[in-house]
Amino acid sequence: LPAGLSQWFPALEVLDVSGTGLAEMGAELLSLPCLHTLLAKNNRLGGPGSLPKGLGQAPLARSLRVLNLSGNRFADVPPMLLRLRGLRSLSLGGNRLHSIPPDIQELRSLEFLYLGGNFITSIPPELAKLPSLKYLVLCDNKIQSIPPQLAQLHSLRSLSLHNNLLTYLPREILNLVHLEELSLRGNPLVVRFVRDLTYNPPSLQELAGRTVKTRNVPYAPSDLPETLVRYLSLASNCPNPKCGGVYFDSCVRQIKFVDFCGKYRLPLMHYLCSPECSSPFSSASQSSTSQSESDSEDEASVAAHRMQKVLLG
Amino acid sequence: FRYTRNLVDNGNGKFNLMILCWGEGHGSSIHDHTDSHCFMKILQGNLKETLFEWPEKKGNGEMAKKSERVLRENQCAYINDSIGLHRVENISHTETAVSLHLYSPPFDTCNTFDQRTGHKHKVTMTFYSQYGERTVC
Repeated sequence: LPAGLSQWFPALEVLDVSGTGLAEMGAELLSLPCLHTLLAKNNRLGGPGSLPKGLGQAPLARSLRVLNLSGNRFADVPPMLLRLRGLRSLSLGGNRLHSIPPDIQELRSLEFLYLGGNFITSIPPELAKLPSLKYLVLCDNKIQSIPPQLAQLHSLRSLSLHNNLLTYLPREILNLVHLEELSLRGNPLVVRFVRDLTYNPPSLQELAGRTVKTRNVPYAPSDLPETLVRYLSLASNCPNPKCGGVYFDSCVRQIKFVDFCGKYRLPLMHYLCSPECSSPFSSASQSSTSQSESDSEDEASVAAHRMQKVLLG
Repeated sequence: FRYTRNLVDNGNGKFNLMILCWGEGHGSSIHDHTDSHCFMKILQGNLKETLFEWPEKKGNGEMAKKSERVLRENQCAYINDSIGLHRVENISHTETAVSLHLYSPPFDTCNTFDQRTGHKHKVTMTFYSQYGERTVC
């Protein structure tokens, strides 16, 4: 960038330096107090010096709303970028990213995040902590699974996952009630029933731990060796909201299909504390709690109906 | 958040002329053209067109791709149901695309197809805007 930029154009609000072969953006940016939109796509950014040092302290950190760095050479998200607290829209499409940093959650104001066309293999659950995220694009990557926490993105309206390596989705995806668009094509989603995936039967220690927790057996640190006290504190609640059980290391993963009137079957991954745990969306009724089973099925069919309108071909 | 269909002219009921605006990564479903002629011209950017064979009667397998090509600015394409089905996508992650479409006779419903199974599903198509005015659903 030319030196003296901020002296010539102190009121600059929008700067478009796309397609100029830029390899670095330096301190010239830091003294542009009105800059809210920076477009720098199709350049040679990605190495050190791509973003100016001291970005976190500059007025830019609070004023910048839109940053487009698509079509560059970023192999990772520069930590300095995550200091742009006012950022609403970020595009890093068509770069060389292999992962998303968990600190992405620092971009508290982010509403639009475009990460399509990279080499991303997994999504950190911290991404779900972005409270205003409305539009998330992860298409054309190498993603193998979606963390169930992603369902906590309450503001999400559009989720683009096409052309990845997904074989199933977490059943929590049905909780995204404000979702209006979901693209899944070009993923090797399983179409046929898949037998229960790995289930390592629980150890005696786990079975004892589960009983202590679910029966509220009282204990004090003086009653048990420290390792067991620590072990007991690591109990997780069964992901099935209708089950009060806990598990430690051993949990069943099972794929069940949600059927959209026979036209489209979506494989959803259920996590249960044991194979006998009655799960929402299960079609085989196992226990005597038939009322809660049919309630679950109603929830499932409402969710499935909503999803059918949302799914893009 | 999806590509938009913007009606420009309805040719006294004989045709629909519309402009489609595609954001980065936006693509259509695989669809047919309800027995109409469909012309497409790229006004800006590039669009990838993938042609598919019609699925077997009770389609139960992955749909067969016939061919694919990338249409550049000012290039034209034509399709009708006897040629096959297609998917149109803006595969760029950095550029938007704009295309001009002519459908004759006009139609507002078509079938979309699931690439994995060949199952079809009738949909009603809507306009984002008509004659420059935003269409509110």
